[in-house]
Amino acid sequence: MKLSMNVNKSFGAFSLSTDFTVSGDCVGIFGASGSGKSTLVSMLAGFLKPDSGSIHLDGECLYSSEKRINVKPELRRISMVFQQHNLFPHLSVMENLLYGFKRCRKEHRTIDFDTLTDVLKLQGLLGRGVANLSGGEKQRVALGRAILANPRLLLMDEPLSALDDSLRFQIIPYLKSVSEQFAIPYIFISHSLIEMRMMTDTVLAFENGRMIEQSSSEQLARNRMGKSPAGYINLLHLGVPAESAGHFVYPWGRASLHISAGSDRAEPMAELSSKEIILFKQHPEAISARNLLKCTVRSLFSSGRKIGIELDCAGNPLVAEVVEEAVKELGVFPGVTVYAAMKASAFRIL
Amino acid sequence: MFLEQSDIEAILLTVKLAGLVTVILLVAGTPIAWWLSRSRSRLKGVIGAVVALPLVLPPSVLGFYLLLAMGPNGPLGYLTGKLGLGALPFTFWGLVLASVFYSLPFMVQPLQNAFEAIGERPMEVAATLGASTLDAFFTVALPLARPGFITASILTFAHTVGEFGVVLMIGGNIPGSTRVASVQIYDHVEALEYGEAHRMAAVMLIFSFLVLLWLYARRPDAMKTGQR
Repeated sequence: MKLSMNVNKSFGAFSLSTDFTVSGDCVGIFGASGSGKSTLVSMLAGFLKPDSGSIHLDGECLYSSEKRINVKPELRRISMVFQQHNLFPHLSVMENLLYGFKRCRKEHRTIDFDTLTDVLKLQGLLGRGVANLSGGEKQRVALGRAILANPRLLLMDEPLSALDDSLRFQIIPYLKSVSEQFAIPYIFISHSLIEMRMMTDTVLAFENGRMIEQSSSEQLARNRMGKSPAGYINLLHLGVPAESAGHFVYPWGRASLHISAGSDRAEPMAELSSKEIILFKQHPEAISARNLLKCTVRSLFSSGRKIGIELDCAGNPLVAEVVEEAVKELGVFPGVTVYAAMKASAFRIL
Repeated sequence: MFLEQSDIEAILLTVKLAGLVTVILLVAGTPIAWWLSRSRSRLKGVIGAVVALPLVLPPSVLGFYLLLAMGPNGPLGYLTGKLGLGALPFTFWGLVLASVFYSLPFMVQPLQNAFEAIGERPMEVAATLGASTLDAFFTVALPLARPGFITASILTFAHTVGEFGVVLMIGGNIPGSTRVASVQIYDHVEALEYGEAHRMAAVMLIFSFLVLLWLYARRPDAMKTGQR
């Protein structure tokens, strides 16, 4: 997917002005509320007409103020999953799913209904109304409906923000696997850096109606580490835990981690802030933290007033942050061995 | 018999008139309500006020102007004359036309509220799924506004059944043609036939009460919003 947007739009005191070209199948638009994300997406979907500029998707002009082109939303083949599921309450799950499919031209129909409902685990819901589905089920139906319209681009406008944390991380694998399996590129819109890193490769960051950064989601997280109160959030893919002496021991690659909270998920994940990691030059004699891992420094990067240290912990990546003086005192540089200490309570199971 | 033959005739004519007006207004009022609910035009206020005029105008004022418009020198009268349809005043079709104007806000306002309550998002969702505006209107907006349609239809029907002033101005009092139930009651009272007037009035009272009871039972604020 290649998208070029050079658009301007003003409403009252707010104005959005941006000019970018982005390629890739997993693109993110990141920004706080009021940064212009939704305005941008509305213009791309065709709900909102820019004041001026142009929009090109895969070489096709969707909007051009100069050439007076403005392709109608229904002809753009851009499906959308919204923050609220927005299912049609007067239709059953099956009828909702088929709404876009029936309106899609036959030559564009490449997605098999049975395969999709199987991937999204919707088979048992097809005959039901949408009113009494759970939040996660509704969002899966909304995703299936958007995919079955056989779009050339899927827009996901904060699709997880109405869900609680546990549901959020249950839905993410569906969002990823469906678009990957059916080869549909997507643009994922969110104000959550974690979601960006889990869902996207390339991110466009917006602030006050302007694009301020275009980078990989990993780079964006590193760049923001220094000014974010949460620091850099390490996402750890863990194994099934075993309970031991009041906490849980999770396999983590070749290492293991002691974590206060348990998880009943088959593939648990945990987040750990870079601020929660304490580095030692030598193995400490005694320490209260339940996790002490021997690591090798892979690289250093600066972010604001902080220095990020990328570590290799038994084959697992981990980012810690320290101030510049600490780097000098520890004598940290790539290849050096350090010890990383983390409390069992510092992790948050997702 | 509880009601005289002329009473039954008047009731049947009233039902025919109210039914026709409701159907005509469903067709004509829906696009007006949709436009009022979606438009950002400066004319929206003007059109909205014109639609609501029958709510505040004395029926005799509306009837007087409609009579002038339908008369041989009025624009409507001129048009029907040219089309070979003859004069509309004191005919059933003149009554239908006058009732359409008189009951217009009772159809348009509940529908407008129902469409506004739906919001833009369902239409946008339908568009991203490949539905044209017309397709989305029929497959999404109309079903979602169904409670508003029921409320609007009932209110329009009931209001047409109960109208008197405009009917008398435009239709007069022609048995089988323009003498509707309300005029029949008026006739009975004028002729000091209080028993007959009582019976007809009771039928009207019970009908109106049942309509309102049903509406309020569906939802207490249905009268105000016209939504589900």
